[in-house]
Amino acid sequence: MLSAIKNQFATDDIIVKRSDLYKVSVVKERVFELIKFIGNNYKYKTLNAITCTDWIEEEHFTLTYIITTLDRKNTFMVQTMINRNDAHINSLVKEFAQAEIMERDLHEMYGIDFVGNENLKELSLENWVHTPPLRREFDTLEFVNEHLTFREGRDDNLDVKVEMKRIRAEKKAAKELAKKLAEESKDGE
Amino acid sequence: MNEGFLQEQKTLEGDLNSENSHQNSVDFLMNWFRKRSIFVLAYGTGCGAIEMPPTFTSRYDAERLGIRGAATPRQADVIIVSGYCSYKTLRRIIRTYEQMSNPKYVLALGSCTVNGGMYWDSYNTIKKLEDYMPVDMYVNGCMPRPESILEGFIQLQKDIGEGKASSWQKYEENYEFYRKNQEAVLGEKVAPSYEADWYLYDGGL
Repeated sequence: MLSAIKNQFATDDIIVKRSDLYKVSVVKERVFELIKFIGNNYKYKTLNAITCTDWIEEEHFTLTYIITTLDRKNTFMVQTMINRNDAHINSLVKEFAQAEIMERDLHEMYGIDFVGNENLKELSLENWVHTPPLRREFDTLEFVNEHLTFREGRDDNLDVKVEMKRIRAEKKAAKELAKKLAEESKDGE
Repeated sequence: MNEGFLQEQKTLEGDLNSENSHQNSVDFLMNWFRKRSIFVLAYGTGCGAIEMPPTFTSRYDAERLGIRGAATPRQADVIIVSGYCSYKTLRRIIRTYEQMSNPKYVLALGSCTVNGGMYWDSYNTIKKLEDYMPVDMYVNGCMPRPESILEGFIQLQKDIGEGKASSWQKYEENYEFYRKNQEAVLGEKVAPSYEADWYLYDGGL
């Protein structure tokens, strides 16, 4: 199977992770061809998940389509890269109906446009107008400080680290003192 | 301004829990009845909801204190906000809270409602519940055990009996403040739009 893929799709990026787990990287245009190929010829029929990784330094997203056989014993990962500044790729909805909600999720969290998926509406975020939150340029802490208020600490609130140090030092001093006293009493005898 | 309030009820019960209410024997009696029959909305809003079934069933048996479940917001006296509160849930909680009839009380469980808890830096979770709706009683812990929840309820009963638990009045009086905070995180459409629900999409799933 792997040699057939190597010849047909002209890719050297084939990794055998386990005897039942393969990973192949191809260019964006040939992803669906490869998925069809392994589906028709090698019984990889179920789309389990579509995952995305943000490589902000290299300016691309890595999309991984995880496909399994019907008996769930073998897994195939088809990987491709898309430009993160103009993130779009064709939708897989026609081949796999379950891709709809996975693509919707990725659209919401990374802002990837899946051409052909007509149901890219909001999923868990409502009325979200800011940067998609799982893109790495989105600074969560900055966002939280800007939009939400924190509860102020108590007036008698103490710094935990400083207090722990103080308590430890006190304990140590007490221990040393006890030791010293014990030695003195021993000498006295 | 008065969205979500029942006008008639407001007229009837408007002067309850006023400054002199504790001197009024009728109010004293009313509060006594109220504290002995607390109907809790069966609505779990976060992970803390997992502690509610044992609280209400035979092991801890909250019903011996007059605390039991209610099926709909309009029949309920208490809403438990159990745990972290994402924007999406907050929308539903506010809608539910406004549907409840007065007098109504809010019990907030877990450190998430107090200060954000482990979601303190989450972009999608509110940090202080009392900014968005009034809270009568906080029960801290992550998660609070049924014993703590019961203790919270008993304290709430005490407050109701003394006429101190009056968060619903606070909500009416400071509605602009709460509404402003709600709009700041949820946008102008605070109430959830039912058109956005998944089962109403064109062709459904």
